[in-house]
Amino acid sequence: MRSLLFTLRLAASSPTRNARTATVLGRLLGIAFVVCLLTGLYSHFLQEPAEWMRFPTRPVWLYQVSQGVHITAGIACIPLLLGKLHAVFPQLFQYPPVRHPVQVLERASIAVFIATSVLQLVTGLLNTFQYYPWPFPFRQVHFALSFVIIGSLAIHIAVKLPLITRYWRARDSYDADGVFVEPHGALDPARAEFAATRELATRRRAEEARVAESTGTAPPRPRGIVGRIVHWIDTAHEGDDEPRNARVSRRGFFGAIGVATGGAVVLTAGQSFTAFEPFNAFAPRQRGIGPNDLPINRTAAAARVLESAMAPGWALTVSNGDRSRSFSADDLRAMTQNEGALPISCVEGWSQTGLWRGVRLVDLMASVGAPPERRLRFTSLEERGGYRVMLMGPEFATDPATLIALELNGERLSIDHGYPARVIAPGRPGVLQTKWLTTIEVL
Amino acid sequence: MTATPPAAGRGVRATRALLVVFGIALIGLGGYVLTETVSPTRYGGLLVWLLGSVIVHDAIIAPLVVVAALAVRRTGRRIPGVVVALVQSAVVVGVVMTMIVVPEIVAQAKGPKNDTVLPFDYAGRLSVMWLVIVVLTALAAVAYLVRTRRQKSRESTDQV
Repeated sequence: MRSLLFTLRLAASSPTRNARTATVLGRLLGIAFVVCLLTGLYSHFLQEPAEWMRFPTRPVWLYQVSQGVHITAGIACIPLLLGKLHAVFPQLFQYPPVRHPVQVLERASIAVFIATSVLQLVTGLLNTFQYYPWPFPFRQVHFALSFVIIGSLAIHIAVKLPLITRYWRARDSYDADGVFVEPHGALDPARAEFAATRELATRRRAEEARVAESTGTAPPRPRGIVGRIVHWIDTAHEGDDEPRNARVSRRGFFGAIGVATGGAVVLTAGQSFTAFEPFNAFAPRQRGIGPNDLPINRTAAAARVLESAMAPGWALTVSNGDRSRSFSADDLRAMTQNEGALPISCVEGWSQTGLWRGVRLVDLMASVGAPPERRLRFTSLEERGGYRVMLMGPEFATDPATLIALELNGERLSIDHGYPARVIAPGRPGVLQTKWLTTIEVL
Repeated sequence: MTATPPAAGRGVRATRALLVVFGIALIGLGGYVLTETVSPTRYGGLLVWLLGSVIVHDAIIAPLVVVAALAVRRTGRRIPGVVVALVQSAVVVGVVMTMIVVPEIVAQAKGPKNDTVLPFDYAGRLSVMWLVIVVLTALAAVAYLVRTRRQKSRESTDQV
């Protein structure tokens, strides 16, 4: 067991796999994870607010940016996490596997952390293009796992705190030649023991070679399968510890992770940020395509509203208690029309600013004497679906920028964008910009 | 080298304790949220995917990387270390990007929900990306080799 784990660890060891690398990548990954958690929580509470919660409606692009950051930071985590796992992979083969009982918890927390973070990134990435090949609900699991990830991360940081502080700064981590300074035995007993065993083996081989040379005989050849494999690995590692080689492979490693992270961000962020639009090679969305020159998440066909939305007798019913008024499409068009540039910002990260034209929600609500401090309930023509009914807090309901839109980008609202009328409010997730409206009620 | 462990100050110990308590509380919260929102019939599938995530990384991806790295080190011994590092980095970048793009290709083949989802030819673009990586890496390697050769010849003439 010991020699097997030693061999595996030997095979996996390289100058780039050390505590300094893990600290550097861990810091970046930690920041990205916390950014994802906070932006994710913001999105979650916008969608499922507690009664007392109020949200800023300005700047109008607040949610667009926060959700764009959520998705982009999540994508950046993919190369960073792979790099981090690469740096610590030899630790999987430490001997003895557990030194003291508390270490069982430590290793278990790492297992939980790796499993949940890998799954979180996979499900998050696939969700950006609405692909759900797993047997569990995405939204609920993605939300629950986020706490488990940050919790196990906190435990992980607590366990590794001495190593993290030891290798926090580059100048404490490398010697004058740029070679990694091995941790003190007490800091990382498993690594220290591994290093000592390896050192012994190297010395023994050098001694054997010296003896062989002085006696004129060939050095002993490795025996058995394990012996040959170890020998093969050893010869592959030759020269690893030379300062120049160690520096080159370290730079190569950080270069690769840096370029991969930068590439993943630059080539996908164009779906969320205008500055990156020209480089949008791999994002699942492209701005400017679709009906009304804007992408769609849920089509009228998918929502099964093709008939009801096109029905000539359609009317929007607005009610405040027993005061109720119905507005036909012509009634709405006859009211004062307002125009505003507001982003449609999807939970899945893509966003695009559209030029919306329609009736101000405040004007519509004033027609039934709705008091300003009340929440509103919007209902769509959709017969089913998680977002058929939408609640809107007073901060959005009373904002003059919030429109019941009839036009988008200079044309009549396309049926896929919510014809005859949809709501568009500043700073809210796209799923709450209810399409195919049929009723608005004061709660 | 002395055998005494570095003294852990009271601050460090307090921080660690705080982090552990905070961590356990958050994991508990995550578990609670999960049981409140996800039907128990889905736990099995979730567990399989969680275990699968670890297995795919630890038992497939990581060992492949180890073997590939060792093989490159042995076969590339006559090649300058910088060139080997360049090629390795290029492969890492290409593979990571491929891991991000391949799910899109799969989802596209399965048929996206509407025409505005996955609108590009991702497979074609991925091929172009690999081509760009190969060309850039080759250029960088050649530039490095030419520079070192020039430096060497200059050094040897200086010595004469």
